[in-house]
Amino acid sequence: MGQPSLSGQSAVGDLVLEVESLNVSRGGALVVEDASFSIRRKDYVGIVGPNGGGKTTLLLAILGMIPKQSGAIRLFGEPIESFSAWEKVAYVSQNAINFDPSFPLTVKELVALGRVNRRNLGRRLDKGEWEEVERAIEFMGMVDLSGRRVGELSGGQKQRAFVAKALVRNPEVIFLDEPVAGVDAATQEKFYQKMSDLNGRMGITILIVSHDLAAVFCRMSKVICVNREVNVSDIRPGQDPNSILRKAYGEHFHFVFHEHKCEGEFR
Amino acid sequence: MMPLVAASFLDLLGYQFFQYALVGGSVATLACAWIGLFLVLRKESMLVDGIAHTAFGGIAMGFFLGVTPLVPALIISIFAVLAITYMRRGGLAQSDSAIAVMLALGFSTGLIIISLAGGFNVELFSYLFGSILTISLTDLELIAGLSIFIILFMTIFYKELLALTFDEESSRLTGIPVEALSLAFNLIVAVTIVVTIKIIGIILVVALIVIPALSALQFRVSFRKTMLAAVIVGVVSMVSGLFLSAVYNVATSGIIVFTAVGIFLVSAVYNRLG
Repeated sequence: MGQPSLSGQSAVGDLVLEVESLNVSRGGALVVEDASFSIRRKDYVGIVGPNGGGKTTLLLAILGMIPKQSGAIRLFGEPIESFSAWEKVAYVSQNAINFDPSFPLTVKELVALGRVNRRNLGRRLDKGEWEEVERAIEFMGMVDLSGRRVGELSGGQKQRAFVAKALVRNPEVIFLDEPVAGVDAATQEKFYQKMSDLNGRMGITILIVSHDLAAVFCRMSKVICVNREVNVSDIRPGQDPNSILRKAYGEHFHFVFHEHKCEGEFR
Repeated sequence: MMPLVAASFLDLLGYQFFQYALVGGSVATLACAWIGLFLVLRKESMLVDGIAHTAFGGIAMGFFLGVTPLVPALIISIFAVLAITYMRRGGLAQSDSAIAVMLALGFSTGLIIISLAGGFNVELFSYLFGSILTISLTDLELIAGLSIFIILFMTIFYKELLALTFDEESSRLTGIPVEALSLAFNLIVAVTIVVTIKIIGIILVVALIVIPALSALQFRVSFRKTMLAAVIVGVVSMVSGLFLSAVYNVATSGIIVFTAVGIFLVSAVYNRLG
């Protein structure tokens, strides 16, 4: 994957996402209330919070897929209403892997679909584009599976294939909604390792909805706690995660976090 | 249909009517099988049946006005696609209900026109049940021309159609003109159906579109190979059906569908065992 150009970026240009006083309602109820935060280039962000707290709603509103009630959202400095550089943005939905398993599509064909966009409308993918497809498959460690049908893969493999599909566009920011739900711990760990690589080596801004609090606090640079109210904090070594998490999970929440374990298992 | 009980397979190839049938049948089936795979995967097979029955109104109108029936049929089918799209997008009806409304409206239009014109005639029956062995050179030119147009469209927009068939939501995010392409595809479906009506008849069009795709899906291969398999199954059913019906002098449309269903059953068994 090509390195996103970082040269000549001013401080303002470093802002990937700005959210100001955002309110979002679904089915008449206020689900996200007065959210304000900003995400900079190369941030690695975990979005956490209890089920039904509004994590997915927040993500969908940011991507303009559901209407907001009030407030402002800007992607790369552009208001969401007029934003058009969607090739910079990749999104893997919670439901991505719930497709019809009999759909005849190999991993390679799936990943190639990520390369379909307005600019190559009506023509075949060229050699360079197929090389990007191969590279994304290789990066996600799926070379051996590239000829397999996606419907036959395990849950974790499907997720990796969809992330490869998202990566093949060379996005500058990638939004993942619970990418490793229902996958065993070792597979999850490998997945977060990949995402750290992507963030560190390729400089891609990543926002992940996750239930894995240890992965968030060990690996990521920022955490967004969502439970109707939205609190955003930087993650710093030596800090007690509970001071952040209790805002979303309630006063009695206690997350046992062994920071020293991050060294062995996570890096 | 001509009595051909004694004819051998090779003799058949010498007859011009049979050559027309082979060429016309094969190109139309190729187009049908190809769009059929997309329709089956989009779970919109019934769109075919709906449009085909709507086209009946156009065919009747053609007889009434004394013009080539396929022309008003094409116009009415395109109108039906636009109406279905409008009802769906405007929130007036779900896809299946919108199709049902157009099917009923088109077919009733046909019935009313026929009663005004004084009843059914033999030629009208040929559109209901197909008459591939009696297509004229003009029919063949129309069928071949439109089929090539359909095949070109499918070749050019292959990857976009696959993208929006697999995941419409994320295709929208990549800036593909999803609405325009969906509409264009549905219009292509209308053209395909009208082309095929002359060959296999209004009532059985759906078979030629859906069954090859279903058979191909049993093989559990890549999308590209599934597409190829669907086309092969379609053309093989058509060609072998044509020969069998000519040799044994039985209803061509019926035999073509029987061959297609036979291939489907074999592939389904292959899928279960494989």
